[in-house]
Amino acid sequence: MISMLAAQSLSVRRSGQEVLKDVSFSIEQGEIHALLGGNGAGKSTTLLTFLGFLKPASGSVHVQGRDVNGNLGAARQAIAYLPEAATLYGHLSAYENLHYFLSLAGTETGREALDDALDRVALQPDARNMRMETYSKGMRQKVAIALASLRDTPILLLDEPTSGLDPVAIDEFNRLARDLAEAGRTILLVTHDVYGACHVADRIDLLQNGVLVGAFDRPEGMDRIDTEAVHAAFAQHAGA
Amino acid sequence: MSGLIREIRFLASDRAALLWLGIALLVACVSVILGLREIAAQRAVLNDLIEIDYAEREVLDTLYQDWGDVAYYTFHLTWDSPSDFAFAALGQRDTSPWKHQIRALALEGQIYETDAENPDFALIGRFDFAFAANLLAPLLLILLLHDLRSAERTAGRYELLSATAASQGSPWFARAALRTGALALCLIAPLWAGGLPGGAGASTLIPASLVVILHIAFWWGVCVLVDRYGWTSPVNLTALVGAWLALAVIVPAAIKVSIEAAVPLPDGGEILLTQREAVNDAWDLPKAATMEPFIERHPAWADYTEVSQPFEWKWYYAFQQVGDQTVEPLSQAYRDGRIRRDRLAGSLAWLSPPALAERAMQALADTNVAATLTYEQRVRAFHKALREYYYPRLFRGEPVSTVSIEQRPQFQGKES
Repeated sequence: MISMLAAQSLSVRRSGQEVLKDVSFSIEQGEIHALLGGNGAGKSTTLLTFLGFLKPASGSVHVQGRDVNGNLGAARQAIAYLPEAATLYGHLSAYENLHYFLSLAGTETGREALDDALDRVALQPDARNMRMETYSKGMRQKVAIALASLRDTPILLLDEPTSGLDPVAIDEFNRLARDLAEAGRTILLVTHDVYGACHVADRIDLLQNGVLVGAFDRPEGMDRIDTEAVHAAFAQHAGA
Repeated sequence: MSGLIREIRFLASDRAALLWLGIALLVACVSVILGLREIAAQRAVLNDLIEIDYAEREVLDTLYQDWGDVAYYTFHLTWDSPSDFAFAALGQRDTSPWKHQIRALALEGQIYETDAENPDFALIGRFDFAFAANLLAPLLLILLLHDLRSAERTAGRYELLSATAASQGSPWFARAALRTGALALCLIAPLWAGGLPGGAGASTLIPASLVVILHIAFWWGVCVLVDRYGWTSPVNLTALVGAWLALAVIVPAAIKVSIEAAVPLPDGGEILLTQREAVNDAWDLPKAATMEPFIERHPAWADYTEVSQPFEWKWYYAFQQVGDQTVEPLSQAYRDGRIRRDRLAGSLAWLSPPALAERAMQALADTNVAATLTYEQRVRAFHKALREYYYPRLFRGEPVSTVSIEQRPQFQGKES
């Protein structure tokens, strides 16, 4: 079976520094895969490499079995991307932002579908027509998550998706992510939130200083990965 | 199409872009209105002067019994009517005379009487449409385009936009094209709105619009070039304003200085002074010193050169003619120099697109150096006809008659 996302011996340099070193992993369809790591671990770099914004110094990244290098358009077409601290247009409302970005992606979506997505991230109905510059960070993040979920793509790359969300909103995000995965969509999320990653992911790769230092799978029949084991590994490598 | 509608909606919600476009529209409207008012004022002045000119001559023609007096006291208005597109590019009409009242005396001094320096390569002239479109519009375009990508990078949206738009093509081209097109429209719409009722035809307005579009497109290209470096918005803005300053101000100024150094000209004042000295000196010279060079040019009057009285009109007009002959080399050098300067300016203007666009508009408006020189030549031709009319009457001593006066040449204004 072809992996939806795969990194093979991936190394990436930024500003002369090697920020990813010989990283390999693959993600199958319907899987929620978390890259967990501290600041500067190389998590966002991994996502940007899948999107073709950064080129591998060595190794390769594949989207739906095709090397991104040489198939950039097809790769991006298959991916919905939520950047870290996604700043949508402040002078537009939530509806207008969703309309704009979905139109940009070539996805025509009616108001009902927009409301459904915004309901799922629990954005208050009375805020949806307000300019987003009046929103809190968490509200902006909810709209960005709704946007990623509305994209008609098989893969979602989410960079710190729960950043700025309150605990209730994080639970709602986790439910949404699970629903999307059950519907067959593949999610690669990067985070430094051990607890959140353990609750939502099927598999966690622990990334430290550009090197994969550990991997944790959700045990069969369990609803989450062992938080303590992941936390211990995270703390051990962070202190190393 | 849906992409265009999307970007139109997006532009409509961008207050900063709307502000710059609004300013462009306002500037274009004001420049067109000011240009139309200036041309209307010039036309009104000409209409009044033409009326006065005819009325004055009707009175004068009944006063004198001697052709010398008639020629001496009768002024003839000559004028260069503005074209119907002159409102858009006033050009040389702002700096060179477009009307002369002349009489049958020495001409060159009359032509250059108001001439102080004659700028051949107008840098920044009156606030007309050409100024707005060629100098101000690029700045507004820079303000509209300088941060298209860089602002998105700063806001953290660049990757989101680029990744999202993968299947629909880049949003950057649509955004830039829309802003550029909107700016061009803000400039061209007032031009047509002012030009069509004023009589400027599509045959002028279409090429003028094309000049605006090509010039704006050039600056779009400059913005794209600078954007490729991936600098921040302030750095982009600095680089683009620097490019504007270089291409719109420094290069034309350098061209002007270079041309003036390469092609020295006698100025109009020098021609005026030399001609007047020649005429004044003639009073103290033997009559033959005037009549001989005169006859060289007009051998038909060789049998009428005897001047027996201390003052005779034929001698007086002969030394006026000789005054013109004296400055002929200077005047010719001046005209040749202006043509050479203008040609050089035309070639070197390719180094400065704003100057090139300005020249193109002046050519369409018939307000360029060539138009000014053509008017001067029309004045010379008319003056020559006047002399040819008066000389037989002066030299043969014919009596003044109404029938004869009716045969006197009349200056004909060109079709506008």
